[in-house]
Order: sequence, then structure tokens, then C-alpha cells
Amino acid sequence: MNIIQAKALSKVFAGDIKAVDTIDFEVGEGEIFGFLGPNGAGKTTTIKILNTLLKPTSGTAIVAGFDVVKSPADVRKSIGYVAQDIGVDEHATGRENLTLYGHFYRLDNKTIMQRVKEIFELVDLIGYEDKMVSSYSGGMRKRLDIAMGLIHQPKIIFLDEPTVGLDPQTRVHIWDYIRKLAKSMNVTIFLTTHYMEEADQLADRVSIIDLGKIITSGTPDELKRSIGGDVVTLSPCTIKTEECQEFLRRTKSVLSNKPFIVGMQEADTTLAVYVQNGESAAPNIMRILNSEGIEVQTLSVSRPSLNDVFLKYTGRNIRPQEGAPTTYTQVARRRSRRQ
Amino acid sequence: MQMLSDVYYQTMRDLRSRFRMPVWIFLSLFQPIIWLLLFTQIFQSLSQLPQLGTVSYLQFFAPGVVVMTVIFGSAWAGMSMLQDMDMGILSKMLATPVTRPSIIIGRVISAMVMLVIQAILIFIIAVIMGVRLATGVPGVLLSIVIISLLGLGLAALSNGLALLLRRQEPLIAAINFIALPSVFLSSAMMPAQLLPEWLNTLRHFNPVDYAVVGVRGLVLQGYVWSDLGTSLLVLLAWSAAGITFGALMFRSKAE
Repeated sequence: MNIIQAKALSKVFAGDIKAVDTIDFEVGEGEIFGFLGPNGAGKTTTIKILNTLLKPTSGTAIVAGFDVVKSPADVRKSIGYVAQDIGVDEHATGRENLTLYGHFYRLDNKTIMQRVKEIFELVDLIGYEDKMVSSYSGGMRKRLDIAMGLIHQPKIIFLDEPTVGLDPQTRVHIWDYIRKLAKSMNVTIFLTTHYMEEADQLADRVSIIDLGKIITSGTPDELKRSIGGDVVTLSPCTIKTEECQEFLRRTKSVLSNKPFIVGMQEADTTLAVYVQNGESAAPNIMRILNSEGIEVQTLSVSRPSLNDVFLKYTGRNIRPQEGAPTTYTQVARRRSRRQ
Repeated sequence: MQMLSDVYYQTMRDLRSRFRMPVWIFLSLFQPIIWLLLFTQIFQSLSQLPQLGTVSYLQFFAPGVVVMTVIFGSAWAGMSMLQDMDMGILSKMLATPVTRPSIIIGRVISAMVMLVIQAILIFIIAVIMGVRLATGVPGVLLSIVIISLLGLGLAALSNGLALLLRRQEPLIAAINFIALPSVFLSSAMMPAQLLPEWLNTLRHFNPVDYAVVGVRGLVLQGYVWSDLGTSLLVLLAWSAAGITFGALMFRSKAE
């Protein structure tokens, strides 16, 4: 059974900016569903529509059996929302933060007390219940933030970029909590992220979103398999220059219609070559390029990642490199999100 | 019912964070005392004005300090709303079933609680300094009703402005723009007869003046029901307008 069902969902902001552009998707009960895409792709807008914080311009979304526009109050009772910003009150203790939300969800005092205890255990904050949040570390705050979305045992929890701004170690910790949560509370998790490893690690199923549209969906394995075999990444330079462009163009034409190559995609300063077997293809590629007098600075062989999937469909990396040009629409999109 | 419970928890949350700032509490309570002492010293010679009659400037000015304290206390109420918006607390709250109006009402009530405490303290100190209250304790209670209505409207207006302006700088500027001029455009510091003609006319359009006239009547003269009636009516309308503005802004901006 699908616990979230979105049909032809769109959100257009002032200035005709299509933050979300006619998307369809569904999330099964108990799934960890990942929405993967670069900043400004429309992830937060989608999550806000599903959470009743934004009204869609057109299309429908059914969350936990309720229409987000027609019965927002019922939707709110069934969901927990953990926003990108850590929305905890610094000038209160962890317990006070949690208790307040318990009251908002109409739980009685006894239930609140019991749940607070369980949840602090789940997110490993035992001993910090009555400390002021201002004394918590970033990771602890995020854990409390997540905990606040759990107090009413929701059917679905929305995590918007749950590990953004956290150090790598803390990130891995939060991943553990999210997995634990999915298992122990039997909750459906809808998660957005621009970290491909995060989607890969956590999600049962992923939809890749870019410029307001869903590009492709599937399990992380399915998506990576769709690349076919391995990825050989070639790079002639580290900064995007005319010369670099010329290299990429020539390399591409030299390698085109070689039988062992499944596909190619260039992005910034690299050329990704998709092959069936990376180990045997790499020396082949080198030989061909050398015979044409093309010199390669770096070459790497890897298993396909979700970034390669994104790259294959968009010709860009999920996280643009420093100094990479950003298109105007992306900037406009980002601005519109803040309004 | 849910609304009442939500308002209660919102109010308690706001009060709790206020009372966790002892420096703020101390200064808030101390500020009106400074005004009372300082202004009565500065304007000491005004006591000789024939317009004041037998009334000392302290006696005249004490109701003005009560009203000023209310203005400065409630005009800043929107700052904490802004902080909650910036920290993502507001949108997190909005994703829960919490009744929407409770978010504003809770804050406004919490601001009122502070104001009532401050007002009572000012009255006590004024009495100690020698002010005679013509209507005694019942007059103080009625004064508190008057200033609460003024504060209610202003606190709601401030919250509405926070939602409208969305940033600290313009909000601070807007509050400064409103707060002090609204005191000067009233008879809080000067007897109305001494105000220039245009100011004396303008003050009738200023809700602050109705609070000053109401409270001052209770302190100096007794129950002048015609004045009190006007004050209460105007301030009721004012608070209703403030709350309507706040609620409208909340509905259209809190996304």
C-alpha cells in the first residue's frame, strides 16, 4: 500500500519559477524513500507541500490517506517533520522541547513522560534530558530535532537534508539513528538529500530530482546497474579551460563507437566512460588515446555511484565543483525557496 | 479547548524563556524606576506651572511612566517571533496540529504578564515616592485593564510586523519609529493644555493618549466615567485592530 502518493504535483513561485514541475511518485508503507538532487532541485519545496506548509499550485498529494490541501489537519497528526534548519529551542532543556511537542500532538502527560524516556534512549541522549539545549553539540541538537518529530509515533517522518552541516563522523551516527528508527518504530521515512552516499546508504528506493523534475527512480542498485558495468573517469586538467574542452571533445570523438564502451558523459573537467569491465577497459582506453596523441592527466576506475546516474541524465555532477558555473535558474530557484 | 491548551503551553514557553534571562528581568523592572526618578528630576521646575495646579510633576508623570513601560515592553514582542522564524522553530511548529492563533496569542499573553508585573511595581514605587492614588487599589486594577488593552494591540501589531518584515533591521527601525513618537504625541509628559495646538489635536488619534488620560484620571481625579468609557472603548477597538492585523499577517506570511 502506498502511504504517500503524489500526482502531477507542481509548485510555481512568483516570477514564474517552477520549483516543482509536474512530478509523480509514490512511497510504500515502511519504506525509506530518498529524494536525491542538487541544491535548488525542488526537494524542500516538495517536502513542504507534503507537510502542508506550502500549497501546491496544481496536482494532488495524498499523505497517510489524507489530501494535503483538503485535510491538512489530519495530515499533520500523521506525520513528523524534521526540517533542514535545526528547529529546537536553545533556551529550553531537551525534555522541555520534547514535552511541548507532545502537548501540541494532544498526548496526555503520562504518555508524554513515557515517550520522552523511550525517545531519549533511542537517540542516545540519556543524561542530557534536563540540560539546556544551548549546551548541546551540533549532532546532539540534530538528534533532539529528529526526536521531536517522533513523540507522537507518526506514520511518516520527513527528514529534510538530515545531515547537512554536520561533520562526517556525526553524519554516520545520524545515519545509524535513522536506520534504527526505521526498524524499531516501523515508520515510513521520506528523506531528501544532496549527498549521494546518504541516499545510497539509507534509502530503499530513490527518486533523482533536478530542476523540479524527477529524472529517474528505483532502488540504488537498480539505478547504478542502469549505468552498465564500471565507470572510467578521465581528466586532462583541473580547471575548466578552452584546452580542456578541446581535449574532452577530441577524446569523446576518438572513443565513440568503440564496441566495449556503453556510453559517455562529460561534466566540467572530466569525461565519464561507461564500460562493461573497468579493469580491462582502462588500459585499452589509454592505448587508443596515446596512439592519437592525447595525454591524460588522471584516470580512475570505479563502480558506478548515484552521482554517475545523475551525471548520465543531466550532464552535471550532483554537487557542482567550486567555481563551476551555476545557471541563472538555479540561483533564482534557491532564492525563491527562502521566501 | 485545544486552543486553550495550546495557548497555555505557548504562553508558558515564552514566559519560561523570558524568566531564564535574569539580567533582562532585572533591567525590565529597573528601567521604569529610572524613568520615574530621572524625568521627575529633569522636569522638576514644571511643578510650578499653574496648569498643574496643586499636583506635583511626579504625581502627574507617574501614569505616563506606566504607559511608556507598556509601550516599550509590548512593542518589542515581535522580536522573539522573528527569532523563532530564523531558527526554524516556527515552521517546525506549523507542521504539527497546534492551533495556529495560539502561536501569536501565547506570545501576546506572555508579554502582558510581564507588563502587569511592571505596572504594579511602578505603582508601588510611585506610592512610596509620595504619589497619592485617588482611586486606590480598585483604580490600579482598572488601570491595568486599560494598559493591558493598549499592550495587547501593540504586541499583536509588533508580531504582525515581524511576520511582514521578516528581518531584524527593518523591524527594529519600525518599532523605534512607532514607540517613542507615540509617547510624545500624547499627554504622557506634558499637560495637554501646554501642548502646541496641532499636537493637541493629533493626540486624539493616538491610542496611547487614551491610555494616559484613562490612567491619569484614576490616579489624579477619581472615576471620571465619561473619560474612562471613551478610553476603554478606543483601546478595545485598538486591541481588536492589532490582533486582526497580527492574525492576518500570520495567515498570509507564516509559510
